Amino acid sequence: MGEWSSFISIVRNLSLLYVTHKYVGTAAITYGPSMLPTLNITGNVLLVERISIRTGKLRPGDVVILRSPQTPRKIICKRLIGMEGDQVTYVVDPKNSDRCKTIVVPKGHVWVEGDYIYDSKDSRNFGAVPYGLLEGRAFWTLLPRKDFGSLAPKPKS
Amino acid sequence: MRQWMNIAKEAIARASIVVKFICLLHVTDAYLLSSSHVLGPSMLPTLNTTGDVVLVENLSHRIGKLGSGDLVLVRSPLDPKKSITKRIIAMEGDKVTFSARNHSFLSLVVPKGHVWIQGDNLYVSRDSREFGPIPYGLIQGKVFFRVSYAILIAFEFVPNIDFHCLYLFCNVGNI
Repeated sequence: MGEWSSFISIVRNLSLLYVTHKYVGTAAITYGPSMLPTLNITGNVLLVERISIRTGKLRPGDVVILRSPQTPRKIICKRLIGMEGDQVTYVVDPKNSDRCKTIVVPKGHVWVEGDYIYDSKDSRNFGAVPYGLLEGRAFWTLLPRKDFGSLAPKPKS
Repeated sequence: MRQWMNIAKEAIARASIVVKFICLLHVTDAYLLSSSHVLGPSMLPTLNTTGDVVLVENLSHRIGKLGSGDLVLVRSPLDPKKSITKRIIAMEGDKVTFSARNHSFLSLVVPKGHVWIQGDNLYVSRDSREFGPIPYGLIQGKVFFRVSYAILIAFEFVPNIDFHCLYLFCNVGNI
């Protein structure tokens, strides 16, 4: 009976932790070059909160994590550029040309781009992303120590 | 003062048990089995217009065991606060041929990471023929069971047993 009750209490504590992770906030480890200079290639640990997504209080300029529309098991980290109805101008292929395109973000979708557009697979590749794929908003960097603090706003090009 | 501290401690201890139990229920609901009330004409004759209570299991889409022909609950790409129920017609890589609004036939290959969904009642269904293939990540669960109206009649929730309800009496079990 003793083992059963301790097992139940462990399961309950884990469930509480899970619900916090799913509905309040969590930590995320990011790596890759697509968000330079805001985030490192080798990796950052970010604090992510999920409340803004549910209340709809996101604004362009927020760093968000979302489920990749091409690989559903992967979570990617990009910056929110446009909400539904916004007009977005983007450079289609910055490595080869300066050609720009302007589109209006369709209803129920958002436009995300990495800060380092030369090496980022984002909405310029896979189009506007449905809002339902957004997972959280990153608002604080925990590691590495020298980057501890809130995330920088979009760098001006 | 000390009395209030003790009362507060006991209240927090009891509240935390309740909170943890609710979290356990929620985890079961999110990862194993949940129920949903679906309504609307886009899935006739499989599901009713006036509303059905269905059981949704949330395990298959996480382990990749969904295929064409499955009824799924997905988050709407047009309105992220709404969930819609449709049938998966094609998975990624499959070729889909459908007739657009102007009665011409269009063909496309479902891109990677996406699925093509359609309602069973093609005339009034807003589905992938309108908003294109949807990312797999929007799928919330697989509908596998409809709760029979026979149970509701048994508990006298339905006041008027007319012929319509007697017909629904037979609609129990797997979809």
